[in-house]
Amino acid sequence: MLYLAMKQLFSKKKQTLLILLGISLGTMLFIAISAIQLGFREYMTNALLNNTAHIIIKGSDNIIEKDTIQERFFGESSFVHWFSPPSGKRDESKLENYQGWVQRLSHDVNVFDFSPRLTITTILRKGPIKTNVSLVGSLPIKQLRISEIKDYIVDGSFEDLSSGGNKIVIGIGVSKDLGVRLGQFLDVITGNNDVTPFKIVGISKFGDDRTDRSLAFAHLSDVQKINKTPGRVTEIGVSLLDINKSEELASLWSMYTKDKVQDWKSASKMFMEMIKMQDFVRYFIMFSILIVAAFGIYNVLSIMINQKQKEIAILRSIGYGPKRILELILYQGVFLGLSGGILGLLMGLGISLLVESIDLGFELGTSNHLFVSYDISIYTTGFVAAILASLIASFIPALSASKMTPIDIIRGRS
Amino acid sequence: MIICENINKEFGEPPQRVLNNISLTINSGEFVAISGRSGSGKSTLLYIISSLDLPSQGRCLIMGEDISKMPSDRIHEFRNLHVGFIFQFHYLLSELTALENILLPPRNLGKEGEYEARAFELLDLMSVTSVAHKTPSQMSGGEQQRVAIARALIMNPKYLFADEPTGNLDSENAQTVMKILKKVNKEEGTTVCLVTHEEDFSSMADREIYLVDGEISHR
Repeated sequence: MLYLAMKQLFSKKKQTLLILLGISLGTMLFIAISAIQLGFREYMTNALLNNTAHIIIKGSDNIIEKDTIQERFFGESSFVHWFSPPSGKRDESKLENYQGWVQRLSHDVNVFDFSPRLTITTILRKGPIKTNVSLVGSLPIKQLRISEIKDYIVDGSFEDLSSGGNKIVIGIGVSKDLGVRLGQFLDVITGNNDVTPFKIVGISKFGDDRTDRSLAFAHLSDVQKINKTPGRVTEIGVSLLDINKSEELASLWSMYTKDKVQDWKSASKMFMEMIKMQDFVRYFIMFSILIVAAFGIYNVLSIMINQKQKEIAILRSIGYGPKRILELILYQGVFLGLSGGILGLLMGLGISLLVESIDLGFELGTSNHLFVSYDISIYTTGFVAAILASLIASFIPALSASKMTPIDIIRGRS
Repeated sequence: MIICENINKEFGEPPQRVLNNISLTINSGEFVAISGRSGSGKSTLLYIISSLDLPSQGRCLIMGEDISKMPSDRIHEFRNLHVGFIFQFHYLLSELTALENILLPPRNLGKEGEYEARAFELLDLMSVTSVAHKTPSQMSGGEQQRVAIARALIMNPKYLFADEPTGNLDSENAQTVMKILKKVNKEEGTTVCLVTHEEDFSSMADREIYLVDGEISHR
């Protein structure tokens, strides 16, 4: 049947080519758009995960609540009218039981690694120039294991922090604002104007100006020391073996503790909503194009069946059953979907490579090219969609052809 | 053997009777012509006795089996192996060559290779070997019809049903086609059932069934 199907299909070369192009263009557009969107998403996700982790465990905010104060000081039954109700934090947020978390995370099979952090707000000074930054104290070797921060160091090395001894990695924006370079010293001012000199061992560049002008890294013990909070940890960044389990594990862990356990998705709600919107647009475009292509297939096959009614009658009269006629038409649809899909994949790959090679003339993050993803799921989705659209579009005319009886066609009743 | 008993056939709403109480027997190896004027029901009778259509009442037995009770797979197999059809128009598949068209019935069984030699024999018998690799648009009307006959004969069928096979041909080609049908009947023992309205051709048959208004008449 395949032989007959191909013979019929190629007897109308122009029509076949046009339909093939329709399916290929639909698949190609889906792949190109997905490649750019997912490429950008991967870049954004990496940038996000550098600042957070798959799961972040933070000390609870410890907010003072009106009802608790009232109950403690005036009893449950008293009516108290507050002119100015108590508010604010009770203390700086810190983990309730850091050692307990270390124990739990060290033994959890889902955890790849974790990094304790102490983040403080501090002032960096070089001569008369000052700038405010968030100074993140971490264990550098662990931080390197849970994030891609290494990729964002443009000068020096993040690993150099690991020996401790008042060393700092600053953002490129901070370096420009203060006019400092690698190897130079700057002052870190904390609390009661305590000034500690730190040596610059690395410069980072995340591509986001605000981050690059307000973020610095140092060894955890150095930050604890200048903050006069030995042993304090404000958060633990956790990297999982499977990022997709972040939501499930975060909700499980949060049942054991008063600490705030947040997965990276709920920490970046707006970003996730943007991703959903992008996905919707992407699938909508592909769906629209494939519908047009599917209508093309439907039209070509319907016209062909109409033109070849007598020939179908002959096939039926010489013993070709309805199933064989169904096969005859379906093979043509499947061939169109298969070849159009493969051509679309190749064209999509070509466009992706081309787009990736274009120099934008400005910096986007750490690169001056568009981020392009070559994730296999893009190609499989595009290909499966092309095949499905072709199958559905050819099944309807195929079914109607298979239902034709030879006598109805000969008598002109179909 | 084909046996038809009390065949009635009605079409349309309100029903119009086209065949009325027809009973007949066609013996194996016989050459029968079904003739009559236009609208007399001769093509309808041919389609019923050839398994293409079913009667409204009555029954038709071929090789001892009631056609209306045959499961659809059996009917397709029966048409494929035992029946050859020739229509007024050739109905060759336009994108296939003459040889490929002739090999369509064995292709349904995946046996086109086995029948290639026979296809060439038939092309030779029909004197159309020269068009073996040509498509229908490159052949004359007579050649097209002879290729269609070859296609009907490729499986060595027990029955050959022909519905006005000379209707679209000039007299010379029509004579050739009739001679071929006669030869196939005599040499291969194929039962031939021919619908025609031309007396010259019906007289070439062993027996003539003449229809008038859906009934068998003796003239």
